[in-house]
Amino acid sequence: MHSALVRVQNVFGFFTTVAFVVATIVALSVVVTPQAPSASVKLRNVQVVRGRPHYYSTKREEYAHIKFDLDADLTSLFNWNTKQVFLYLTATYPSLDPREPPSQAIIWDAVLPSLSAPLHHNQYIHPAKNGKASKGKKAPYPPGEIHLAAQRPKYQITDFSGKLQNRTDAVLELGWNVQPWVGALTWVNYQDFGVWKGLNGGKSKVFQFPEIRKRKEADLKTEKGGEGNRGKPA
Amino acid sequence: MLSLSPRQLATQVLNFALVLSTAFMLWKGLSIASNSPSPIVVVLSGSMEPAFARGDLLFLWNRGLDTQIGEVVVYNVKGKDIPIVHRVVRRFGGGSTPLRLLTKGDNNAADDTELYARGQDFLNRKEDVIGSVVGFVPFVGYVTILLSEYPWLKQAMLGLMGVMVVLQRE
Repeated sequence: MHSALVRVQNVFGFFTTVAFVVATIVALSVVVTPQAPSASVKLRNVQVVRGRPHYYSTKREEYAHIKFDLDADLTSLFNWNTKQVFLYLTATYPSLDPREPPSQAIIWDAVLPSLSAPLHHNQYIHPAKNGKASKGKKAPYPPGEIHLAAQRPKYQITDFSGKLQNRTDAVLELGWNVQPWVGALTWVNYQDFGVWKGLNGGKSKVFQFPEIRKRKEADLKTEKGGEGNRGKPA
Repeated sequence: MLSLSPRQLATQVLNFALVLSTAFMLWKGLSIASNSPSPIVVVLSGSMEPAFARGDLLFLWNRGLDTQIGEVVVYNVKGKDIPIVHRVVRRFGGGSTPLRLLTKGDNNAADDTELYARGQDFLNRKEDVIGSVVGFVPFVGYVTILLSEYPWLKQAMLGLMGVMVVLQRE
């Protein structure tokens, strides 16, 4: 009755019960934590070029290279249950068929770690103020504050139809995915939910994809992210 | 210790079968509620780091057919039975034409075009995707990875459980 085995079992059972209850409380506590994110997105430059989806493909598609300015204050998204915020900027434009919903493609993304997350090579390192290389390990801004000017995109995007030039009514929209330590994943909200205020700003002015013009190779460099897998996708 | 009457033995077997069938019913019930063939999956690769590491448990929901950009979906490559957990980076269609998605792992430099079946450039939401991730518990699923990578562990665990059942009779 009081053997070591029974005691171990009791302790283990108690441990799992407590862990489960604490995890539930932490996961639910996020709902009552206020948030007030704000962001301003501006288009800097957009160019359209012809390219191939992979080196062995025969079809040629039109790719857009979109440079942007981003100023965001997402510090309120980081609470004790936030492990990281996956931030992304999408280009949203109407589909060629007017009955379809708008098409969307991510042009840039960043993994913003919280201060409690362990270091990982895929986390975003914010460039230092004044464009100098970041000195040492001190981040220039607290987690969630972003100030980028003339930022190159990470991805050059194409449309399902392969045609992008001269298409109108495109918009850049900011989005995020909050990854918790435990619980439910949440995405960007433009509406208010209780104490969670919707994103203030976050959409650029409407722009148009220009027509294809010959451009210098250097203009179309993309930003390299911190992803670890550079070869075949895992 | 091993001198069980047939009735006691039958009761033990019945209890064990009851536990197994309850677990099975819970699993299938969750499957139906979430409309996904596999409502709880374990992350197998490091392609979504640092968000999901190997061994994390993911809860899937398959009733949101209008998958938004930025959502994390689990899909099977056409013809293969390997579930892949990646993020949606492009979406097209979704009205009368089927919703087409392009996915990419957070820790992969390239998108998933190379992973898809030959001639397939985009995923079809209805056909290929088995759910999108709504919640997660870290690290708990690592046991299943160990069990599949070290098959002798399965025998060892079953043996251990058998020994425990026998020992607990006294």
